[in-house]
Amino acid sequence: MKARSLFARRLSDYLIKILSALAALIAIFALGWILSVVVSRGVSAFNLDFFTKLPTPPGISGGGLANAILGTLLITALASLIGIPIGMLAGVYLAEFGLDRPFASMIRFAANVVMGMPSIIIGVFVYTLVVKPAGHFSGYAGAIALAIIMLPLIARTSEDMLRLVPNSLRESALALGAPRWKVTLGVVFWSAKTGLITGALLALARISGETAPLLFTALNSSYWMRSPKEPTANLTVTIFNYAMSPYPDWKAKAWGASLLIMIAVLALSIFSRWIFREKKIRKG
Amino acid sequence: MSDNLTRPLSMEREQKRLLQEVQSLEVKISVKNLCFFYDDHQALFDNTLDIFQNRVTAIIGPSGCGKSTHIRAYNRIYEMYRGYRATGEVWLDQENILSPSQDLIQLRKKVGMIFQKPTPFPISVFENVAYGLRLHFKMSRGELAAKVEDALKRAALWEEVKDKLDQSGLAFSGGQQQRLCIARAISVEPEVLLMDEPTSAIDPLATSKIEELIESLKQKYTIVIVTHNMQQAARISDFTAFFYEGHIVEFGATRQVFTNPAKKQTEDYITGRFG
Amino acid sequence: MLAIFFELVRNSGLSIKKFGLGFLLSMAWNPVTEDFGALTSIFGTVVSTIIAMIIAVPLSIITALFLVELAPPILSRIVGIGVELLAAVPSIIYGMWGLFVFAPFMADHIQPALGKTLGFLPLFQGPPMGIGMLSAGIILALMIIPFICAVTRDVFQMVPAAVKEAGFGMGSTTWEVTRKVTIRYGFRGVIGACFLGLGRAVGETMAVTFVIGNDHRISASLFSAGNSIASTLANEFAEAAEPIYLSSLIELGLVLFLITFLIQIFVQLWLRRIAKGMGDRL
Repeated sequence: MKARSLFARRLSDYLIKILSALAALIAIFALGWILSVVVSRGVSAFNLDFFTKLPTPPGISGGGLANAILGTLLITALASLIGIPIGMLAGVYLAEFGLDRPFASMIRFAANVVMGMPSIIIGVFVYTLVVKPAGHFSGYAGAIALAIIMLPLIARTSEDMLRLVPNSLRESALALGAPRWKVTLGVVFWSAKTGLITGALLALARISGETAPLLFTALNSSYWMRSPKEPTANLTVTIFNYAMSPYPDWKAKAWGASLLIMIAVLALSIFSRWIFREKKIRKG
Repeated sequence: MSDNLTRPLSMEREQKRLLQEVQSLEVKISVKNLCFFYDDHQALFDNTLDIFQNRVTAIIGPSGCGKSTHIRAYNRIYEMYRGYRATGEVWLDQENILSPSQDLIQLRKKVGMIFQKPTPFPISVFENVAYGLRLHFKMSRGELAAKVEDALKRAALWEEVKDKLDQSGLAFSGGQQQRLCIARAISVEPEVLLMDEPTSAIDPLATSKIEELIESLKQKYTIVIVTHNMQQAARISDFTAFFYEGHIVEFGATRQVFTNPAKKQTEDYITGRFG
Repeated sequence: MLAIFFELVRNSGLSIKKFGLGFLLSMAWNPVTEDFGALTSIFGTVVSTIIAMIIAVPLSIITALFLVELAPPILSRIVGIGVELLAAVPSIIYGMWGLFVFAPFMADHIQPALGKTLGFLPLFQGPPMGIGMLSAGIILALMIIPFICAVTRDVFQMVPAAVKEAGFGMGSTTWEVTRKVTIRYGFRGVIGACFLGLGRAVGETMAVTFVIGNDHRISASLFSAGNSIASTLANEFAEAAEPIYLSSLIELGLVLFLITFLIQIFVQLWLRRIAKGMGDRL
């Protein structure tokens, strides 16, 4: 029976500690690298035209992405309009009425699976469902695809948030003679509101950076949108097209659009985290 | 040595005999002015006492009086957490274990610990006991198996698990898990065993088994046991220290502390007037 | 979910009829002769995912270890937030960064070095173009690290302090406790986390499309361009005019759907089992 070398044990412990710090450093470094590149290249593309003018044909410099900015805002807003209410209703069903019924756990299971589906699949799905029968790409189709991505996210977070509301609160409201739906809408929703907002914001952050599904649905356009029934310009697909193009001017615009998207997404996710934390602190 | 053990010889014969016995014992751990801090909160105040070799020392006192904190200084397990620190001296043989140069791995190999809740690792019974052996020694498969068997036998668990060595350590009853942890601790031949309320989470029958086990283990090891159960302390220990709010109120031979306490506070606690 | 499945099957009917099961095994991809096969895309998906997993799994686990066991609380929070933000960055941004910054960096520094030292392996031969399988794999790894790391961190935090104390009490070093106790304790959770990351990597589209090179070819070298199911879809959808071309692409989507669906089902069942197991244990 020989004693193990303390030195060797210490050494491997020490090495792992250094490695783990390095790994953490790599993650932070990558984040810093990406952010700094996007910011430095993106800022130089920003000017008044970028925000107010239409894109120019290839080779002609100048112009902007105003139509795409507007399009992205519109598609995202439409998607939220569809996704948030339906998602929250599903969350209410799961948390308040479904509980452990088999149907509810099936829905929960399906929501989890869809949440893990690649968004491109959703894009192809909406293409076959909406775009193909209609015969053309449209902003509506894009909004539907994004709404489908939002749905399970919002349903699951709302469910979790609603479940955090203590039962005693529901009981005391019911004891006052309020009907169940009123209790849910009034008392339960109200006390879970911060959580619900957080969930919605996070879902919003997720979809505003989505590209793949829009490629199959909203496509892109270089004109002002006249109606969501037509192919609609949007930032992410524009980035994709412009980045793959050989024109330096377009590439610069792609960086500008990237910066815009990144600011929006990071702001949304940091903001949602912040209000959630605020709430936790106030509750003590 | 504490004052009530070094009183003048005018005491009764019983105490004289005790005194002689004490003088013939070897001191294993000598604690001098141990203070302990959780961040800014002081939990122990100038603890001074001696732990004798091959004896069972019980530490009793009301909840939150610093009993566990005290023995957790003996293997410096508190260092897992930030902001916890100890001052003073704890001498194990000729080494001050609180000194920064103390090698923690060596220290913890010498000083084993049993916790309040059984803490088997989520691996098989065999692997649980082999854990410490594998850490500290290089040995052949056969040697390892022999050592594991030996430790399980000494922990009075072998008969119950010899056909189930491959089962998860978590699959057994609380009492068996606790004995598994004892087997794991003694497998590496420590010199001191610290037990932090080892029977508080298990049933009375299993408790009596562990008490028997402690009795047999003291042939080989020096045992310090924290307990909130005074009958247990009276049954199994040779020496008893009574803690109150981080101070050692009284320390002496168990028989004396329980039958003829020197301090009023000790008497009140033992007779159940508080705590 | 079922609707997705049926729609995909219905719309890929044309190519399923024409190519049959051979679709999965054919390396052909020729829009001119209208001959299509999924093998190159499946190969690319598998290879880039494997590279990503090889890099991401150990990195995520030791990063989680750093966050839970080693870093001072403040540092742990900062790094934790950083890792979460890494998850929030949209994949198209990874694509931009990958194509314009990371790929040239690979071509100038990493690939020549690898070619010099490990060039005797076919894996690391060929011109250092920057874009290709290896770069795609590395970027994928970066994208899934936050997911694996977050779950692993939670799992590590669930290990009871008493059990860790027992580990340290035996005279273990931090690494010994982690390797033999903490990871064992959360083993199933860590596996679940890895599969979660796997699901993401398989379906990731934009970042891969940007850097993988988009070439219907199977090559032994990791430096050469290839494609994945998702990147083929993203790249060629707009140009697919003939019904058979379109239908083949949708069938590719179906294949991807089935792969991720299986992974997801597995993950969900697995996580559910863990949740139950934890309940029993505590």
